[in-house]
Amino acid sequence: MPFVAATRALGAAGLFAVSVLRASKPTRDFFAELTREIYKIGARSLPIVAAGGAFVGLSVTLLGYRALETYGATGQVSVLLGLGLYRELGPVLTALLFIGRAGSSIAAELGLMRATDQITALGLMGIDPVAKTVAPRFWAAVLCVPMLTAFFVSLAITAGYFEAVQVIGIDGGTFWQSMKDSVDFHDDFLVAFIKAAIFGAISALVAAYVGYHAEPTIEGTSVATTRAVVNASLLVLMFNFVLSALLFRS
Amino acid sequence: MRGPRLEFAVGAFLLLALASLLVLALASTNNKWGFGGHSYPLKARFSTIGQLRVSAPVKIGGVVVGQVSDVSLDPQKFDSIVTLSIDERYKDLPSDTSAGIFTAGLLGESYVGLSPGGDIETLKPGDEITLTQSAVDLMQLVGKYMFAGGGTPAAANAKPAAASTSSTPSDAPTEQTP
Repeated sequence: MPFVAATRALGAAGLFAVSVLRASKPTRDFFAELTREIYKIGARSLPIVAAGGAFVGLSVTLLGYRALETYGATGQVSVLLGLGLYRELGPVLTALLFIGRAGSSIAAELGLMRATDQITALGLMGIDPVAKTVAPRFWAAVLCVPMLTAFFVSLAITAGYFEAVQVIGIDGGTFWQSMKDSVDFHDDFLVAFIKAAIFGAISALVAAYVGYHAEPTIEGTSVATTRAVVNASLLVLMFNFVLSALLFRS
Repeated sequence: MRGPRLEFAVGAFLLLALASLLVLALASTNNKWGFGGHSYPLKARFSTIGQLRVSAPVKIGGVVVGQVSDVSLDPQKFDSIVTLSIDERYKDLPSDTSAGIFTAGLLGESYVGLSPGGDIETLKPGDEITLTQSAVDLMQLVGKYMFAGGGTPAAANAKPAAASTSSTPSDAPTEQTP
């Protein structure tokens, strides 16, 4: 009965998400854990996100230049760069890098905690293991992915600016002005960070669910890590389409 | 890494992120923070609006002063009614202001251009601009020019090679292939 099994798995994941939200209480211990997690999965992901953003900005500028050259509209390359980054590339690529960098580590950590019976031990001591281990990671991800998206986009736009203005030779004033004219504060800028927060929630929930429910063996941990990356990436890409269809009207 | 240093690193990360958000918002967006509260509506009637869509800019002398907030069709007269929301700063437009739909460049976006007249009376919020000029369909214009007074079906049949790809009447090909 694959259909029943799939529905059950979905239900279990949904219940897990609810239990994470319910376990999130603003205690002293929670904020201490949250700070540590923001450092581990947010601040430590900064280099890869920054470098990734810069290279994406460079290549999108080249691509846009090539495509717009046909119409003699190379001055509009920043429109493509700005809209492309805010609407799709920024949140999605940041989330994918975040999953690779932090999602895998969340799943591995929780899987190993499961394998070494630390989660059971927390429960035996009367500490809610979800509140202690999962909730801080979840909220850290919800907070960090938008922050990392900001770094990604700013590095990409800076790199695109250097490529377009210094290398290709587009006028710098045109570059900024046409980007400002086309990127709307509400429709593009804010939506990008709403998307990023949702992607952060998805990637942390998937990674934590898979890790938390891993087989308590060494192999189970490795399976959980793989599964976290694969499932979270797929879900982010799928949700990106749904969110784009819902949020972008024009 | 322990307590204070970790907190410093996290604080630095968050501050840096917020700073970069602020710079991005200022440098790369159109800086429209508000929710459109400081504008007033004007209406204008056009027989055809071409490619004009909601949120297209409204310009006076090339400067953006507002945007198109709604496009609807009059159910009686079948005119398009375009609602413009104009920035509160430009609230003293003369009542003989005229509106036209123009296209930026050859293939660019459509926008509404206003040209203020000299009347002392001003347009109140919700008033209708009576002097309007509808959108000019470039392709229709080109088509009319090219085919004005052009070949009748008989003339098209006389030159089948030239006419086969263009606007031959629908019965022409069946006559040519018996």
